[in-house]
Amino acid sequence: MNFKNILREIEKSDAEVYERLSGRRQVLKSFGSKVAVAALPLAIGSLFKKAYGKTADANGVVNALNLALEMEYFEYNFYHTANSLPDLIPPSSAYPSGNDKAGFLTIEAQEKAHILLLNTVITTLGGVPFTPKNYSATALNPLYVPSAYDFTGGGTYSSVFNDYPTFLIMAQVFEDTGIHAYQGQIPSLWSNTSVLGQAFQIQSTEGRHAAHVRLIRRQPPISAAENPAPWITNNIPPTVALQSYYVGEENTLQIGGTDISTLPDAYSSTGKVPLLSATAAFDEGMDTATILSLIQPFLL
Amino acid sequence: MKILNTSGNTQEAATEKGFDLSRRRFFQLAGGITGAGLVLSACRTTPPSTTYVGTGDAGLLNMMYIVEQVQAGFYTQAVATPYYGITTSESLCFVDLRDQAIAHREYLLALLGTNAAKAIVLNLSLAIFADRTSTLANAYGLADLAVGGYNGAARLLSDTDFIHAFSKIVTVQARRSAYMRDTLNYNSFADNSAVDSNGLDLATEPASVMAGIEQYIQTKFDISKLPSF
Repeated sequence: MNFKNILREIEKSDAEVYERLSGRRQVLKSFGSKVAVAALPLAIGSLFKKAYGKTADANGVVNALNLALEMEYFEYNFYHTANSLPDLIPPSSAYPSGNDKAGFLTIEAQEKAHILLLNTVITTLGGVPFTPKNYSATALNPLYVPSAYDFTGGGTYSSVFNDYPTFLIMAQVFEDTGIHAYQGQIPSLWSNTSVLGQAFQIQSTEGRHAAHVRLIRRQPPISAAENPAPWITNNIPPTVALQSYYVGEENTLQIGGTDISTLPDAYSSTGKVPLLSATAAFDEGMDTATILSLIQPFLL
Repeated sequence: MKILNTSGNTQEAATEKGFDLSRRRFFQLAGGITGAGLVLSACRTTPPSTTYVGTGDAGLLNMMYIVEQVQAGFYTQAVATPYYGITTSESLCFVDLRDQAIAHREYLLALLGTNAAKAIVLNLSLAIFADRTSTLANAYGLADLAVGGYNGAARLLSDTDFIHAFSKIVTVQARRSAYMRDTLNYNSFADNSAVDSNGLDLATEPASVMAGIEQYIQTKFDISKLPSF
C-alpha cells in the first residue's frame, strides 16, 4: 500500500484533499518514517474520518435540525392558535372548573423557545433555518404563520378548535409525532456532541408535553375511551383513523438485539416483562419521509 | 491483572452479540483498540468496601443501571404498600411503571454484560410509602434524576448504539416525571425546575446523578473514573 498514491487518487476526485488534511501535515509526514506499517490502515482511517466525516455530517446535522424546526413551528402554531381562542381550553363554558390553560401556555412558550434555539443552532452551523410557507420576518409575530397550516386536516377534524376533546386528540398525536421525529433524527446528530445533547434535552421536554396531554385525556372529565397512559402503550391511537401515527410503537426488539418482552420480571404473572410495559418503556423513531407524510394533511 | 469496565471490552461484548459492523462501528472499534494500551497502563485497584462504577461507556451504563435498579425497587415497594387514597388509575400506572423500570434495568444489564457493576443494596427509607406526597415527590425526583442522567450521558457516550438506546429511554423517563409532577401538583409537568428558558430539559453531570441516587442506596460507590462534562 502506497499512502501517497492513495492521496493522489483522492486528489483526482477531490482537488481540496490536501486542504482538508491541512493541520495534519505533521501527521502526514510522520507516516513516512515513524509509524509502524501494521498501524497504517487504522491511522489513515482515523485521519480521513476526521477530514471527511464531519464535513459529510454537517449537512446531515442541519437537515435533521431543520426537520425538528419544522415540527416546532407546527406545534407552536397549533398551540398559539388554541391558546388565543377565548373558550376552547378550560376554564371554558364547556368545562368551567377546568384549569388547563396554564399548562398549554407553558407548552406554547417552550415550543417557541425550541424554535428560537434551533434557529440559532442551525445558523451557527452555517445552515439556513427552515421557515413555514408564507413566513414573513417583518410580521408582528413572525413565528405565527396561520396561512401555512390547516389543523382541521382539510376538514377531517373540523372541530379541532371548537371542541376540547378533539383538540386534545390532535395535541396528543402531534406531541407523540414530535417525539417520533426527534427519535428518528438522533442517528444524524451523533457527529456533533453538543447538538446531540441539546436534541436529547429538547425531545425529553416534548416527552413531558406528551405525558401532560395524555394525562388530561386519561382523567375525568375527558376520560377518553382508550384510557391513554402518559406513555405510549403498544401502538394504540386515540382513534382508528390516526393509527398511522403510532406504527412501530408496538416494537419490543431494542438496540443491541434484546427483545424486552423476554426479559425477566419476577412480579409479572408470566415471569417476563409484560408486553404493554415492554412497548411503553421505549419511544420509537420515525424517518423524515414518514414524519413529513404524517404532517402533510395539516399543511396548506 | 484484570481489566474492568473498559470501553474496549464493552465494544467487544457488543460485537459478539451481533451488532452490525457498519463503517461507523469500524471506526469506533478502531478507537477502542487504540485506547486499549492506555487502559492497561491505567490499571487500578478498587477498595473492597466500595462498588466500582467503571469508566467510559461502561461507567455511564452502570450509572443508569444503578438509577434503574433504584426505580425498580421504588415502584415495587410503592405497588406492594400503596399510599392512602391511591386511585385505581394511579395504581394501574404504578404497576406499569414497576414493570417498565424492571425492563430498563434488565435491558441495561444485558447491554453491560460482564461489565455490570456488582449488586447493590437499596435503602428506600427516604420515602414514606404510606404517604401520597412523599411517594409522588420521590417518584418524580427519581425520574428527573434519570432524565438528567440519560441526557447528560448522551454527550459523553462514544458507542452510538448506547446513545440510541439512551435516547429511546429518556423521553419515557420524561413522561414519567411529568406524570408524577402533575399527579402531585397539576400543571407542574415541565415547570422551571425541570425545563429552562430555552425549553431544554435537565442534563446532569454524572457525579451529581450518583450523589442524588446514593440517597437511596446503602452501597458506597467508587465513581473516580466516571466521565464528566
